[in-house]
Amino acid sequence: MSGMTTHPLRPLGGRLRRAIFSGVTEYLGERGTLMAGAALAVLVASFCLLGPIFCRASPYTIHVGDAFYPPSPQFLLGTDQIGRDELARLIAGGYTTLAVSIPAAILAFIVGIVFGFSGALGPIWLDKVLMRVLDAVLALPALILLIFFASLFAPSNSQLILLLGLTSWPGLARLVRNEAIAQRGRDFVHASRQCGAGTFYIAWRHLLPVIAPVLVVNGTFLVGDQILALSALSFLGLGIQPPDPSWGGLLQSGLNLVVVDPWWMIVPSGAMIFLSIAATNLIGQGILARMGETC
Amino acid sequence: MNDGSVLRLDNVSVALRRGRGQVVPLLDQICLAVNRGEMTALVGESGSGKTLTSLAVIRLLPRNARLSGQIWLGNIDLLRLPQRDMRKIRGRDIGMVFQNPLASLNPSVRVGAQIREAYRLHTGESDHAACARARELFGEVGIANAKERLGDYPHQFSGGMRQRAMIAMALACSPKLLIADEPTSGLDAILTRQILSLLTRLRREYRMGVLFITHDLSVVQKYADQVHVLYAGRSVEWGSSDAFFNAPRHPYSRALLGAVPRPGQIRLTAISGVLPDPEAMPIGCRFSPRCAYHQAECDCRYPKIDHKGTTSVACCRAADIVSAHRPAGMPSPQYFRSTNDGAVLLKIDRLGVDYRHPAGGVLAALAGRSKSLRILDGIDLTLRHGECLGIVGESGSGKSTLGRAILQMVPYHGSVAFEGMAFDRMTRSRRKMMRRRIQVVFQDPRESLNPRMRIGDIVAEPLALAGERECREQVRRLLDRVGLHARMLDEFPHAISGGQAQRIAIARALAAKPAVIVLDEPTSSLDVSTQAALLNLLKDLAQQDGLSYILISHDVAAISYMADTIAVLRSGRLIEVGATAGLLAAPGAEYTRHLLAASFLYEI
Amino acid sequence: MIRMILTRLVSSLLTLAILITIVFFMAHATPGGPAFSILGQKATPQAVEQLNQRLGLTAPLWRQYLMWFWHLAHGQLGYSYLLNRPVRQLVGDYMVNTLALYASAMLLSVILAIVIGLIQGTTWGRWPANLIRLLELCFYAMPTFFIGTIMILYFSVKWRVLPAGGISSVRISDPGLLDYVRHLVLPVVTVALLGTASLSYYFGASVHDELGKDYVRTALAKGLTFRAVLFRHVLRNALRPLVTMVGLAFPYIFTGSMMVETVFNYPGLGYLLWRSALSQDYPVISGVVLLIGFLTVLGNLFADIVNGLLDPRERYE
Repeated sequence: MSGMTTHPLRPLGGRLRRAIFSGVTEYLGERGTLMAGAALAVLVASFCLLGPIFCRASPYTIHVGDAFYPPSPQFLLGTDQIGRDELARLIAGGYTTLAVSIPAAILAFIVGIVFGFSGALGPIWLDKVLMRVLDAVLALPALILLIFFASLFAPSNSQLILLLGLTSWPGLARLVRNEAIAQRGRDFVHASRQCGAGTFYIAWRHLLPVIAPVLVVNGTFLVGDQILALSALSFLGLGIQPPDPSWGGLLQSGLNLVVVDPWWMIVPSGAMIFLSIAATNLIGQGILARMGETC
Repeated sequence: MNDGSVLRLDNVSVALRRGRGQVVPLLDQICLAVNRGEMTALVGESGSGKTLTSLAVIRLLPRNARLSGQIWLGNIDLLRLPQRDMRKIRGRDIGMVFQNPLASLNPSVRVGAQIREAYRLHTGESDHAACARARELFGEVGIANAKERLGDYPHQFSGGMRQRAMIAMALACSPKLLIADEPTSGLDAILTRQILSLLTRLRREYRMGVLFITHDLSVVQKYADQVHVLYAGRSVEWGSSDAFFNAPRHPYSRALLGAVPRPGQIRLTAISGVLPDPEAMPIGCRFSPRCAYHQAECDCRYPKIDHKGTTSVACCRAADIVSAHRPAGMPSPQYFRSTNDGAVLLKIDRLGVDYRHPAGGVLAALAGRSKSLRILDGIDLTLRHGECLGIVGESGSGKSTLGRAILQMVPYHGSVAFEGMAFDRMTRSRRKMMRRRIQVVFQDPRESLNPRMRIGDIVAEPLALAGERECREQVRRLLDRVGLHARMLDEFPHAISGGQAQRIAIARALAAKPAVIVLDEPTSSLDVSTQAALLNLLKDLAQQDGLSYILISHDVAAISYMADTIAVLRSGRLIEVGATAGLLAAPGAEYTRHLLAASFLYEI
Repeated sequence: MIRMILTRLVSSLLTLAILITIVFFMAHATPGGPAFSILGQKATPQAVEQLNQRLGLTAPLWRQYLMWFWHLAHGQLGYSYLLNRPVRQLVGDYMVNTLALYASAMLLSVILAIVIGLIQGTTWGRWPANLIRLLELCFYAMPTFFIGTIMILYFSVKWRVLPAGGISSVRISDPGLLDYVRHLVLPVVTVALLGTASLSYYFGASVHDELGKDYVRTALAKGLTFRAVLFRHVLRNALRPLVTMVGLAFPYIFTGSMMVETVFNYPGLGYLLWRSALSQDYPVISGVVLLIGFLTVLGNLFADIVNGLLDPRERYE
């Protein structure tokens, strides 16, 4: 049996993404990739966080007379069908999106690492049970689980954090587990054991530093994943609930009115989702290239 | 241009273009000839440019390489041929055999089809004729059952058989010239000998020239007609094989020959220093920074080639180095230490190791795959204080597993007793303590150092685990003992060379203050000259500290240089154990005789 | 090979069993139990009690659990009270549409990925490969629901060349094949963009990898032309990881295709799941979830077998 040692149900995870983005690294240089990603991320984040300072309009105020206007000096990104300022909604939506997806990513990151390491270093039966369950959960696209749970109750933002965080760790857990197991068999670990090192020492001194690049990179990718998942959920009307704005929700309301060509409701919100996902992927790849050097 | 030579390289140079207009010279003015029906051995360590030479001949260099000079195949200058015609030469007039046949054959195409492809391409014959030719070729290279084996895939062949299949493929169109690039690296001594004998027979039958590329001088003496030594992209010495081995004239050739371990040798001649960086080549003689005969004029200009002696040599001081170089033959027994005086340190009793398929459990049982494999069986061995026990065997003989069992890294049955106490009888804490006394140096120096730890921390690890706080000074001393400078402390492993990494691994092992070190193929990934220095170091350390070694290797020469006692392992069983001198002089088992006969290709 | 298939089959069945268990407990985790979802959250306790009796929900949990398997074994997925149809029928109808969309999109992706990947793999490190890579990056990071919306905005609304959606109405009023295909174009292209972006880079990288391997040098040393080496030796080896990738990428691309269904109102499983999630129709939700899980497991099994057939090492092991 060769080449089939890793289970085929593994999620797409970092491998493909790394494959795609490693190209950019070659093209821009590793520093360049990181810089491009970081610049993009700073741009997106400052738009969401500092935006309210420059755009003082409220995202909830309804300008009855100015409903459904294309961009103008008064409303830089136009207004929606009931006359709310689209730019203000884009900023507020971005803030909400980040405020939910980043904590969710952190939650998933911690849970994933804990489970991954317990699988790799704990007793064998635990690993077997864990991997079986992960296989089953990963057989489902994560969005399906999300839709299911979101349909049970209209989740509040803090519930959304839990929901997103607790449905997206299995991929990372498996990755951590596989990496840790692969590294565990390397000669330097054997040499350390020979000198009397215990499991925790090995995990802390040897395994964690060696797989750190993978962790950091996939942690960054997780943020992108959460933004995508949250936007998709909000687009379906199951995520952040109206009247609170979100990028996904803005895109959906644009789509609902698509026959009257509201491009200013569609393009900016979609572009924001795209840019933030691209930013996290570029950063992750950049870090990987820089840390990968010493591996 | 025809003087009986099949291939003739005149002033061939290869340079690699890098970014920003940088040009890195890799091969410099190589002149080399292969005669019809003869074998020329091209010898050099890694980085000397020998593989590049072979690729230059068939013009399959990387895109950014610049090739100049003349390469004459009969009376055609290959460098002036357009690509179309060059393609017709490849495979028809020049056959290639590459190292690592598993990677060099397409894994998903049947071996027969790969052989037929070459034949049909150049002869335009029918598939039927190609099949017949393939069968005939398999017969010639000594693969029995040709008809069935031709339908197999490369992974179904064993290592030696794969290389035979590669040779059959290269011979498909009866080429005038066969280039064999390290065809035997990775094969054990017996297979190496078989492949070399096969090449010798075939070159006579086909009357073709063979360019045999190797890093191992010791294998070519018996088989080559001409020897050509490369160093850092330049020819340093060439001439007939007899004259060369009789009296090598270049300091590098002499050092290279002295670095090959031979039984009973007191000390190997190690070459200090490393190969010069191709981007900063010395202006003068490229070997001069490492040369024992070095003098000021060597650094000013590249030495003129001296054709006057028995061999041609590029060294200003060749005339001064006249004392005959005669490696010692079989040693007399008094070279070896008597081994029966020390107290017993390790006693291994009826040790066996089973291998169970990793995908065990219910699933495997359901799929009918729960049988376990016995890889070691009934091993009895004794190691005394201060002794070096050599364990020799071909790949797959279970010698590494034996080492790991002794180190308590794999589960085994039987017993391993350390200072009279069996490991499985010890308490947990005592077991942990005793394990520290048996240290290990692995084969792959890159794998055995954590890439994210600094050298200082790596060496200090055993000390830290023993609870010692201030160990910086101790680490410095350890580095000094293995011949490394203390400024390396803060480096990461990727910044150092293979030989240095192996020294770090030794320093780490020493830090645990062991009684025994298991050396698992410690030099097989290193170049000959580095290997010699490392073996010397190990010998010195053993003497200073009264260390015992268990040296595991497939290399009989290295084992017989180091070991006091040799154990021969085959298919998981001990064939023979004996004191080195006795075993070399009068091997008891048929297999040992076979192994020894194949190993000492270097004979005087 | 048979052993390999057997092992995979057993492990797939195990995965499915676990999946079914998870879905069972999820269905029971619904607030107030399944009865509420059928009768709505404002049902009277009496009505709930009655329904529970009727559905056998008062039985102990382990018994219900076994019944759940029993029903599944007979292909019963429950009944949608909201749409008044058995879930099995409902899900069956929608699945055909999903498969049509997904299969044609993947077919298109694979063909495009091979063509693009070959160009990328052979021009690696030079501008054609770099340009392709930039496009791949963009389409990989762009959500399908955004691409879909943009497609509608331009192709259907602004330029009016292709219909936006509503394939179901087409099938009732005018079952012409051409019109059906016209309705498929935009959704298929949207999914295929994601699929191509994911697969082509991977294939290109594996072509590049294979070109660097020793057997390529051997083949060239035999006197073969580059083209012959590429198509006779490299392609076969490079295709193998692509097959694995098509299997691995399933959850990812399937998610994309579900989102596309909702954008185009395309009556597939994703659309059905969405609509029933909004109306909290739990029998349908768990039916769809199970079916998708089943398809995933099946797809992976299939990819494994195809891969085994392509790789002689696997075949003879």
